[in-house]
Amino acid sequence: MQTTILALSFFLMAVIAWAFISAARAAGSGSVATNTESRRKWLIVGLAVVGVVVTALSLRPWPLAVAATSAVVNVSGAQWYWEIDKDKVPLGQPVAFNIHTIDVNHGFGVMDESGRLLFQVQAMPGYVNQVEYTFNTPGAYHVVCLEFCGVGHHDMATDFTVASK
Amino acid sequence: MTAIVEARGAAAIAPQAGAVKLTMLLAGAVILLMMIFGLTMRAAQGGLIELDPTLFYQIMTAHGAGMVGAAGLTGATILWYFTGRYVELLAGVYWAFLGLFLLGVVLILGATFIGGYAGAWTFLFPLPAISGGLWTPGAAIVFLLGYVSIGVGFLLLHLEVGRKLIAAYGGIGGALAWPVAFGNGRPEDAAPPAVVAAMASTIFNTLGIVVGAAVLVASIVNLAFPAFTVDALLAKNMIFFFGHVFINASIYMAVIAVYEIVPEYTGKPWKTTRMFAIAWTVVLLFVLAVYPHHLMQDWAMPGWAVVMGQVVSYFSAIPLIAVTAFSLLVYLRGAKSMRWDLASALLVLGVAGWTAGSVPAVLDGMIVVNKVMHNTQWVPGHFHTYLLLGEVAMAFGFMAWLGRRGDDSLSGLPGASFWTYAAGGTGFVAMFLISGAMSIPRRWAVHLPQWHLQAQIASAFAALIILAAAAFVLRYVVRLGKS
Repeated sequence: MQTTILALSFFLMAVIAWAFISAARAAGSGSVATNTESRRKWLIVGLAVVGVVVTALSLRPWPLAVAATSAVVNVSGAQWYWEIDKDKVPLGQPVAFNIHTIDVNHGFGVMDESGRLLFQVQAMPGYVNQVEYTFNTPGAYHVVCLEFCGVGHHDMATDFTVASK
Repeated sequence: MTAIVEARGAAAIAPQAGAVKLTMLLAGAVILLMMIFGLTMRAAQGGLIELDPTLFYQIMTAHGAGMVGAAGLTGATILWYFTGRYVELLAGVYWAFLGLFLLGVVLILGATFIGGYAGAWTFLFPLPAISGGLWTPGAAIVFLLGYVSIGVGFLLLHLEVGRKLIAAYGGIGGALAWPVAFGNGRPEDAAPPAVVAAMASTIFNTLGIVVGAAVLVASIVNLAFPAFTVDALLAKNMIFFFGHVFINASIYMAVIAVYEIVPEYTGKPWKTTRMFAIAWTVVLLFVLAVYPHHLMQDWAMPGWAVVMGQVVSYFSAIPLIAVTAFSLLVYLRGAKSMRWDLASALLVLGVAGWTAGSVPAVLDGMIVVNKVMHNTQWVPGHFHTYLLLGEVAMAFGFMAWLGRRGDDSLSGLPGASFWTYAAGGTGFVAMFLISGAMSIPRRWAVHLPQWHLQAQIASAFAALIILAAAAFVLRYVVRLGKS
C-alpha cells in the first residue's frame, strides 16, 4: 500500500505544481477566463463525489474492527521496552493485540522482515487499545515504538515469531 | 462603516510598521536557527555527525516548539499588519503580544537546553512528568509556562482584533461576510478578504488556545501535585485540538498577505465573492472539527469521531483547492500585468506548497492509510510541505515585501535564492515522504544503517534551504539598514 500511496501523492502534487507553474507563466497576459465559476463548481462537485466514494470504500470493512473469536496477544509497553505474553503468534488467523502501557503513551508498530510497517496502534495510560491483524507469512516480526516516549524511544523494540502451521 | 473609514484615515497603509519589521527580523532569525537544528537532526540520522540522543531530543523539542511558534508569530504579525489597514488597533496590545512571545521563547529555550526538557513540542500527557530521570518536573513546568506566556499574548492579540472587527463590521457575521454568503448582500459592500480571513482565524485560534491553556494548566498542576491526574485520552484530544488549530491558524493568517500584497503586483483587487465568503465559514467549522484525524490509532476513541476526522480531513481540502488555489490561478491568468520579484514569487509559492501539502495530509487522514503511514516520516513529510513550502514561504514573502523597492525583480541573487529555496524545499520534503513510504519512523535519534542514505540526501537539501533562507534574511537586514 505504501508505494501506491507515495505514487498517488507525488502524481497529485505534480499536477498541482504544474497548475501553479502554468498560471505563473501566463500571469500578466490578461487572458479572459471563460466559465470560471462553472468550472469551479464542477471541480467542487467532482472533489466531493470522489470524497464520498473513497470514504465509503475505505471504511468498509471497518478498518479498526476486532473480531471476538480472534487469538489474543497481550502487549505491555513501558519506558523503554515491550512485553508480549506469547512467544509465537498463530499463522493465517486473525490475531487481536491488546495493548496497554504502564507509564506514558507509546506506539505499537509491527514490521515484517523487510522492514515494512504492517500496522500500528497507540498504547495509552489507563486504556487498553486493540488492533487485529492476520499474518499470512511465517517468520520473525519486529516491534518498534512509533509514539515519542523519551530518550530511549528509538531503542524500544522487540521481536516475535509467527509460527508455521 | 464610518468607523472603518475613519480608521483607514488614521491608521491605514503601514500600521505599526516598525514593530512589525522588528518582529519579522526576530522571526527570520528564529526560523534560521530552527532550520539549522533541523539539518543537525537529519545529519545525525544520516550518520554524518554524532549526536547524543539526549541532545537530539532536546533539539527536536526546541525545533518543534520553535518552528510552530515562528509560524504562529509570522502568521499573527501578518494578520495584525493588514487588519490595521481596516480598523485602528491598539499598539500596546501588539507590544504585549511580542513581549509575552519573547518571554515564552526564553522560558522554552531555558527549560530545554538548561533544564534538559525533551518531551517534544506536543507535551503529550503524562510524558512531561515521566522523563526517565532526564529532566525535573521544574524544567517541564518552565517549558509549559513558556507556552502559557505565548498563548496569553496570542489571546490578547486576537481579542483586540476580534473586538475591533466586530465593532466595525456589525458583528461576527458582518466580518465573515455572511450577508454575501447566506443573504442578499452585495459583494461590493462585503468585508474585504483580509477581514474575513482575520475574523475566521481569530475565532478558531482563540478557541484552540483556550483549550490548549486548559490542558497546559492541568499538566502544570499534575507536575506540581502528582496526585492530580488527567485522563490521558482527554488530554490527548485537547492537545491535538490545540496543536492542529494553532498550526492551521498560522497558515490561514499568513494567506492574508496573499490577498493584500499580490494585488499590488497585478493592479487587480482581490475581492470578496459569495464563494469566498462561504469557503471561509466552511474553513472555520472544518478547522475546529478535523483534529480527530490525529487520533486514528487510539482505539479507545469513538468510531464516529475518527470517521469525522477522515471525512472532514478530506473535505477541508476542497475550500483550499477549489477556492484559495483555484482563485489564485484564475487571478494570475486574468491579470493584465504581473511583476515578479522575491515577494510575489514566495507568496505564490506559499499557496502552491500549502495546496500540494494537503495531498499527503489528506491521505494520512484516511484510517486505512494512517494505520501504515502514521508516525513514520510521512508525517513530517506532509507538514513540512505545507509549512516550509507554504506558511514559511508566505512569511518570507511578506518579509521581502516589507523591504521592497520599486525596481525589484526576480533576477540575480533574489532569483537564485528563490529557486534554491523551492528546489531545496521540494527535495527535502520528497525525502521525508519517500522515507515514510519506506516505513522509516519519525522522531528517532538513531537510524538503522539502511536508512542513512535518505537522511544524507535530505541533509543536502536542508543545507540548500538554509543557504536560501539566510539570503532572504540578510537581504531583509540590509534593506532595513538602508531604509
